[in-house]
Amino acid sequence: MNLNMTGISKSFGANLVLDKVSFSLKSGEITALLGENGAGKSTLMNILGGVLPSDEGRIEIDGKPVVFTNPRESLDAGIAFIHQELNLINDLAIYENLFIGRELKGKWGILDKSAMIEKTKEVFERMGLSLNPEAMVRTLDASYKQIVEISRAMLMDARIVIMDEPTTSLTETEIKRVFSFMRSLKKAGVGIIFISHKLNEVMEICDSYTVLRDGHMISSGSISSVTSDDLAKMMVGHDVIEEKRSVHKHGDVIFSASGVSDESHFKDISFSVRKGEVVGFTGLLGDGRSELFLSIFGAGSKHTGTVELDGKAVTINSPWEAIDHGIGYVPRNRKENGIVKDLDILENGSLVTMKKRRKGLFLDQKRIEEDFQKEKRDLSIKMGDDSEPITSLSGGNQQKVVLAKWLSAGPRILILDNPTQGVDVGAKEEIYTIISSLADSGVSVIVLSSEAHEIVRTSSRCYVMYHGKILTELEGDELNEHEIMRWATGAAI
Amino acid sequence: MENTKKGFNFIEWFRKMWTEHPLFSTACALLLMAILQIIALGFDQATFGDWLSKYLRNWINILRNNATIGIIALGMTFVIITGGIDLAVGSTLVAIGAIIMLFIDGSDTGFLTAMGITGVPAYIIGIIMGLIAGLILGEFTGVLVTVGRIPPFIATLGMMKICRSVTQQCMQTINPSVPMPFTKIANLAIGRQMFMPIIYWLVIAFIMYWVSKHTAFGRHVFAVGSNERASKLSGINVNRVKRMVYAIMGLLVGVASVLQVSRIGAMDYANAGSGYEMDAIAAVIVGGTSMAGGRGSIGGTVLGVLIIAVMNNLLNLIGVPPFLREAFKGVIVIGAVLLQKKEKN
Repeated sequence: MNLNMTGISKSFGANLVLDKVSFSLKSGEITALLGENGAGKSTLMNILGGVLPSDEGRIEIDGKPVVFTNPRESLDAGIAFIHQELNLINDLAIYENLFIGRELKGKWGILDKSAMIEKTKEVFERMGLSLNPEAMVRTLDASYKQIVEISRAMLMDARIVIMDEPTTSLTETEIKRVFSFMRSLKKAGVGIIFISHKLNEVMEICDSYTVLRDGHMISSGSISSVTSDDLAKMMVGHDVIEEKRSVHKHGDVIFSASGVSDESHFKDISFSVRKGEVVGFTGLLGDGRSELFLSIFGAGSKHTGTVELDGKAVTINSPWEAIDHGIGYVPRNRKENGIVKDLDILENGSLVTMKKRRKGLFLDQKRIEEDFQKEKRDLSIKMGDDSEPITSLSGGNQQKVVLAKWLSAGPRILILDNPTQGVDVGAKEEIYTIISSLADSGVSVIVLSSEAHEIVRTSSRCYVMYHGKILTELEGDELNEHEIMRWATGAAI
Repeated sequence: MENTKKGFNFIEWFRKMWTEHPLFSTACALLLMAILQIIALGFDQATFGDWLSKYLRNWINILRNNATIGIIALGMTFVIITGGIDLAVGSTLVAIGAIIMLFIDGSDTGFLTAMGITGVPAYIIGIIMGLIAGLILGEFTGVLVTVGRIPPFIATLGMMKICRSVTQQCMQTINPSVPMPFTKIANLAIGRQMFMPIIYWLVIAFIMYWVSKHTAFGRHVFAVGSNERASKLSGINVNRVKRMVYAIMGLLVGVASVLQVSRIGAMDYANAGSGYEMDAIAAVIVGGTSMAGGRGSIGGTVLGVLIIAVMNNLLNLIGVPPFLREAFKGVIVIGAVLLQKKEKN
């Protein structure tokens, strides 16, 4: 089945996210769809999957024009979209998951278990899989879950499979397994659209590529005619303007780790941070940096190895111990982890220090308000009354309240995970300025981000992680977007 | 040598069963109780015949006395597997009981009697009305939970208060009596033993087991409790599954109510059925069903009811004071959940 998408345009309001993009796929071809976050990959695939309508352009299957108005129609036409969060039910057997909602029934509506198992076996045989159809999905590892989900698509005679970053949560052996499964799909004539940021994987498995940037199709062609460096350059673009960042005077190393592992998310991590330094940690989704710092902060998995503060080994088992050591942590996903949406602005801004601001049994309300007024001025938070709900603020101001909560505790080390997630461009710049002035005042800041330009903009040094390991440390001239992209995508391996 | 090797294998087998089969530990607990019970009944080889008949009679009593809770627990299993809970069962039991009694009332005040319908036809109408009332109450709860989007705990807490209170008010001046023949439904003796409640319970348990394993609806119950979002995206009508689960719960409370009225021959509207919801939930939990939904089994629930019942009997036999017995029930529930294999996340 051959797919041709031509001149696809789509805008959300005034924002043009796809501008006359073309895309094609032949049967038995594995093609990579590449681009940075916000390049338009998901929008394009959502149009193909019937989730979004396009404004312009046409989709042809085997030369015949088609229009999908909902996911069902796309699926009926043989296009299966395998999302990152899998839609499997852990407490049911594999065959039950394959047939859920379309169970085969015998007389009296009684399930025809043996027929379903038989069909499942047929599909598995065709794909060269040796899985027991009656095994519980819960017992499978992440790669087999992916394979089961694709098998479900095969059962529905899908001829095109869209895989959205399938390897982010997989180990290397699991990736190999998924790849060999993809090869047998290819042999069976199924076309696969492989969305990934990992260029070494793209080089290994794909036949062709399409690169999108800012809603435009930048390039497409055969994988054999490009190197992974070429692809990394195409994704970033050539017109990156390096901005001057202030260079901070650094003191001694005050925070360091050596050989830190939790055996599942990160392995053998060693790094050091000086007083008044901004250090970046970057990588792709699933590189383990968030899990690493969550664990160091005492809120994640248990780790082995040593963490040192001022040259002395410390054990941190809980966030309050970390706070006592002068460590602050602004988590990613503000809505879930940062704000408490049922508390007002003042309460959100004083959540960390509340315990210490007391007069006898009662809260020292005056002191709490004074503290917050200071942070409000310093961070220039735009807000109405203190007692308004936190949700009445814009994303950027909410994030500043979360920062204020930590700054009022006077941390020596501040960990910021995705600090500009969901804030507008103006607020982004303000947060960068806050980071810089914090460092000037002697606070050590650790910035975790998957956006290369953010790391370049804020940090004077950066560690690049890949699959739970630190691949390299970049500093000085080496600390630029191309270099970060090259390491983060695994192209440099 | 031979012996140690055999012993080693047994331990291996035991460990394998314990970790791989969720019902194994439950069955072991029941077996342990049954053995303790044999000891408590004073096993004596010399009078084996007498002892055996005493032992069997004791078991029949246990099963019969727990059939009502057992039937309610079967419906509760489905409710809990979908991730819900039903606190109203004790109160709906009373409400349905009152409705049944109004229909079967053999005295002159009974309105079926006034219409000239008496005897078996009146009983059949009474039972059907009871079951329909159960279905309607259950369906209503289901609508509250799905369409009204009220958390099951709150929706059923409300139903619990409403049903008992309204029943007590309505039945203040009416005092229907249960005619003798109606009590045969539960108390018909086969041989010299009254088996009937046990038969109803086991038949319903078997049907529920079959539904849970071999119908699309049954599997959807598990799917909805395990991952509601994925179920919805797989084309399952999640709200319909939830509504049906509460409707079945109501229907089974109806059956339990028929049994209760027939077995006791009267109903105390203020106290009957109170605490049944917690007893049923305890049995379901002891039987290995997860409060988080998605995992559990009908077989486990039957074992769970038996464990609690046999333990009560045992405590009675060895003379533990009645006030302390509830504490043992608490220990069993907590202990069972501690023992059950837990998964990360």
